[in-house]
Amino acid sequence: MSRRLAAPRPAKVRQGPDGVPSALQDEPVEGIREEWAVEDRWWTGRPLRRRYFELVLAGGRNAVVFRDLVRGGWFEQRS
Amino acid sequence: MVICVLYPRFELVAALGDRGTLLAAPAALAPEAGREQLAGEVSAAAEAFGVVRGMRLGEALSRCPELRLVPPDPQGVRELWGTILDRLEAIGAAVESDRAGVAFLDADGLQGLYGGDVQGVLAAARRALGRGVRLGAAPSRFAAHAAALRARPRRTGAIVVDEREVRRFLAPLPVALLRSRPELQSLPEILDQLGVRTLGELAGLPSRAVAERFGHPGLLALDLAGGRDTPLDPRRPPEPVMEKLELPEAASGQQLERALELLVARLLARRERRGRSLRAVAMSARFVAGGTWRATVTLRRPSADAGGINLVLKSRVTQLPAPADSLALEVEAFGPPGHVQEALVEERGEVRRARLGEAVRQARQAAGAEAAMRVLEMDPESRIPERRAVLSPFLGDDG
Repeated sequence: MSRRLAAPRPAKVRQGPDGVPSALQDEPVEGIREEWAVEDRWWTGRPLRRRYFELVLAGGRNAVVFRDLVRGGWFEQRS
Repeated sequence: MVICVLYPRFELVAALGDRGTLLAAPAALAPEAGREQLAGEVSAAAEAFGVVRGMRLGEALSRCPELRLVPPDPQGVRELWGTILDRLEAIGAAVESDRAGVAFLDADGLQGLYGGDVQGVLAAARRALGRGVRLGAAPSRFAAHAAALRARPRRTGAIVVDEREVRRFLAPLPVALLRSRPELQSLPEILDQLGVRTLGELAGLPSRAVAERFGHPGLLALDLAGGRDTPLDPRRPPEPVMEKLELPEAASGQQLERALELLVARLLARRERRGRSLRAVAMSARFVAGGTWRATVTLRRPSADAGGINLVLKSRVTQLPAPADSLALEVEAFGPPGHVQEALVEERGEVRRARLGEAVRQARQAAGAEAAMRVLEMDPESRIPERRAVLSPFLGDDG
């Protein structure tokens, strides 16, 4: 009966040639406020490698997205 | 020995008051406002037309077009019956009474006070109650009731059935007498269809067969027909704490609400309350056009908070079906002390937690187990957001 908060949700992200997001859910990215990487559980069979971006969208909304570097795919997450 | 005190048609007689002569004519108690349209107690003259208690008004009036409908007086009935029970208790009796007009008392403990036998107790009861009462005595409640039904009020003697005679006394009586027990209302009709017409015929049936066909009600009926019954459960004499307000003019709506606020304030200020909260209160009103109304309200939580009590009672007082010329409020049951002082309690956190717990319980009742959750921090410093916190069930007072 319990569930995790801020669980990642698959997101539709358009990315540029450098792998940086240029649009989230078809909304253009106005700027990138921050970028960081997370590596964890590399000592297990299910390692976790993510490249995070904090975006400012054209509408003014801030969003945090990451690319899963192990399984692929983009996700949006409330930080 | 159990003594039965019986006043036939008590509610009708009480509602008629000084118009008792109407009892000789076809008359019936009208249904209370807002209730199902069924006839209440009926006079003997109405019975002669085939009108019985519980019959639909339309059918009753078609059977007896001159039937007089008497406005019910639940408050008057309660007061009058309370006086009678008080008189019985004044002779030292512990009295059981589930409905107005019928009361039971155990004579065994009183015999030493009144001549050493049941006749002495019966004489004391008759002296306390005066004329018009029917008395019966038998080893069980059911048999005592049957005996009182056969007694005649104009004769001073009561019918006394002793232990050895009880089965023989009950045997020829109709199974319809079982209707005196609310849980056996439908049984006599089925027994009658099966050809079992007297209590003696019922008592002669094997208990296993009765249990198989009728279950627990059948076994209870078998016990009653055999002269056995459950022990008496005497009432606890009430503490009369009542406030009444005569309304200067026919009041309704907002005027009634103001009157109610005043009554609540007065009731809470009564010394007899001794700091206790109120668990149940009865509201009653007398209508301008005659008749009374009474409704008992049990508070969800015992309280002595005037605002909260007013809120609950206002919803009921607005259901009054007609303008009233008096309004009364009576304590039916007190609750424990202390609940009243929520606003004064120093430990505000404790009070808030208790309220929150109650709110959570109600939310879960309405919307399921996941209606109230709380955020539980698991690893707030984690770089991975989904590991920082989870939603878990809120643990209130109900766990």
